[in-house]
Amino acid sequence: MSGDFGGKSSAVTEETTGVLVRNGGGVPTPPPARSRRRGIGWAQRLEIAALSGPAILMFLGFVIFPILMAGYYGFYKWKGYGVPTNFVGLDNYKTILQDSAFRAALWHNGVIVVSSLVIQGPIALGLALLLNQKVRGQSAIRVLIFVPYVISEVIVGTAWSLLLQTSGAVNGVLDAMGLGSLKQDWLSNPKLAIWTLMFILTWKYVGFAVILFLAGMQNIPHELAEAAAVDGASYWQTQRRITLPLLAPTIRIWAFLSIIGALQLFDLVYIIWGQYVASTAGTSTMATYMVTEGRNAGNYGYGNAVAVVLFVISLFIALLYQRFVLRRDTEGALTEGT
Amino acid sequence: MASNRTLAMAVVVAMSALGVAACSGGDDGGSNSGGNVTMQLWENATTGPGKAFWEKTVADYHTAHPNVTIKLQAIQNEDLDGKLQTALNSGSAPDIFLQRGGGKMAAMVEAGQLKDITDAITDATKQAVGDAALKNGQVDGKAYEIPASVLPGGIWYSKDLFTKAGITTPPATFDEFTAAVSKLKAKGTPIALGAKDAWPAAHWYYFFALRACSKATLDATAKSKTFDDPCWTKAGNDLKAFADTKPFNDGFLTTSAQQGAGSSAGLLANHKAGMELMGAWDPGVIASLTKDTKPLPDLGFFPFPAVPGGQGDPAAIMGGADGYSCSKQAPKECADFLNYLVSKDVQEAFYRGFNSLPVNKDAQAVITEDYLKAVLDAYNKAPYVSQWLDTLYGQNVGNALNVSVVNLLAGKGDVAGIIKAVNDAAKKG
Repeated sequence: MSGDFGGKSSAVTEETTGVLVRNGGGVPTPPPARSRRRGIGWAQRLEIAALSGPAILMFLGFVIFPILMAGYYGFYKWKGYGVPTNFVGLDNYKTILQDSAFRAALWHNGVIVVSSLVIQGPIALGLALLLNQKVRGQSAIRVLIFVPYVISEVIVGTAWSLLLQTSGAVNGVLDAMGLGSLKQDWLSNPKLAIWTLMFILTWKYVGFAVILFLAGMQNIPHELAEAAAVDGASYWQTQRRITLPLLAPTIRIWAFLSIIGALQLFDLVYIIWGQYVASTAGTSTMATYMVTEGRNAGNYGYGNAVAVVLFVISLFIALLYQRFVLRRDTEGALTEGT
Repeated sequence: MASNRTLAMAVVVAMSALGVAACSGGDDGGSNSGGNVTMQLWENATTGPGKAFWEKTVADYHTAHPNVTIKLQAIQNEDLDGKLQTALNSGSAPDIFLQRGGGKMAAMVEAGQLKDITDAITDATKQAVGDAALKNGQVDGKAYEIPASVLPGGIWYSKDLFTKAGITTPPATFDEFTAAVSKLKAKGTPIALGAKDAWPAAHWYYFFALRACSKATLDATAKSKTFDDPCWTKAGNDLKAFADTKPFNDGFLTTSAQQGAGSSAGLLANHKAGMELMGAWDPGVIASLTKDTKPLPDLGFFPFPAVPGGQGDPAAIMGGADGYSCSKQAPKECADFLNYLVSKDVQEAFYRGFNSLPVNKDAQAVITEDYLKAVLDAYNKAPYVSQWLDTLYGQNVGNALNVSVVNLLAGKGDVAGIIKAVNDAAKKG
């Protein structure tokens, strides 16, 4: 932001420009800003266009355009070959909302959203508090916790699906330890499968939350804790009254990322439960439903309609969260100061 | 302003980046007939003798027809359909490509993406391939595909494990079959089933339906797409009764069909399972999963047993045929090449490359493996051959059957659920 391209004219103007560009440049600005922008010459305009242009083109071409096309295909019964011709209006959407398999998938998504927050949040917070202290082997532990997050979903999925098979390593170890009575169909028992999934999700993504929380804790001024200690606060009082409140913005952002990730969950489920068994085992998500009913069934029109529903649900929840929860964190940056 | 130069450079960099991106892609279609012709061919054998077969065939054809060059592109089997779909829709389709047939081919025909080769099929081809197999490549009486290989389904089993379990002859009736299953189970070698991929589970329903439903019903349902004939329910009940005897390997719901030693084919390859129900591509898959990646020496085949009380012929067989199609803008030499592909010598090489049944009847004489002879025997004795039901009724119905049969086997759904699922599927396609 310490741009050296500005003249002596006004630092304020540069500051405004910077913010606008960061939020997706090029978009016509509301009237109040216009009067202040008079100072921008053609050179700066060109610079903005040149620097943000490629990104905007990519965004339009690979995000906005596909969304519009999905909306278009969603109105057709279409097998994916040639140009869609069989216009059916909202029929696809009616079928989706009436399909019990879709409602089951939506319910699973809901379970995953809520239990991700409830399970991963406290665990990650506890680990972050622990790792925020001077512990022997601290960085090694940090790495170990973070490793699962870095491993590709495909590898994680394949590994766990092999370990948890009925004749897999987990049941084998239980047997060898004399705990054969605890053996389970971890993946295919409909009562158990979603909790197996939650365990894997927690194992995989808790490291990400821990790293976020640790970074957030680094930003809390040490003086506050010291002052509290001088006033006789215990360790837990300090965490409860100082660390947690000051960590709240980080927690809110993590929760946002977790919710979006849970709504769009696809890869782990698809790899562990394959193309079809997810719905039988009770772990199907909206995204796996989309692939099963769209791509595997060759009903590309219907699949696009599912994609639109998934998009609308995610967008709705994201906007709601931003409006009511993230509001104070993003004040001014996303909401134009309203 | 001093920044103008930097700016100009930034613009240049940005523009050239875009330019580079815009330049990639785009390929020659090569659609002129007559003089020199270049054609693209997409197939799915990426390694080993299968790939070598294609390289040799294409080279031989070029020697015989010096003006025709065929560019070979091997595409991983699972990627082929998606790439092909994109290529067909964008008008850059390969001239010759592997055709899965059935509903997919019908959709391509409807979109006007395939070349009508009805008149290009030579008498020699008709003679060698026969009407039954050629019918697989027709839509509304016009030919769009020439089959290259027949792939009937049935039970693949380990002869050693059968002997160990005290089973002397392959079971022919369902009572014999269930008796054999309980003997095998007692030895810890049940039926392998890769239900994670769902279609192997659905195949069990297909075969019960083949025994329960008459040929007329099977054909009529292909038109009506309604599954209200009582035989569909009988097939479900038969499957349910059979599944209740727990004939499959432990954890079959999370067992895949073809990947690794833990898959159903892998279980059979490593003598952990006595048999599995599968199409005629199975010997190749099993061979790749044995410890020494050589063909399983004691592999055997017998047709799906007769089931009492059904309308279907007890000797009827189910299976598909892999073939090749020409895309709309392909030159006329494409059909010539397809005729060449089913000629006797090429078909014998095809059998050696893929270890599967060639479609050319004269080429079938060279088969040496016992199990392939057993397949051929069952195939030739069958009064009629039904397509795989997902091919016959389309991917949409096949998908619904996949899901609902897995539900049934998992104890989560019932027979009525299968019928409801296939009838519901019509709404989505």
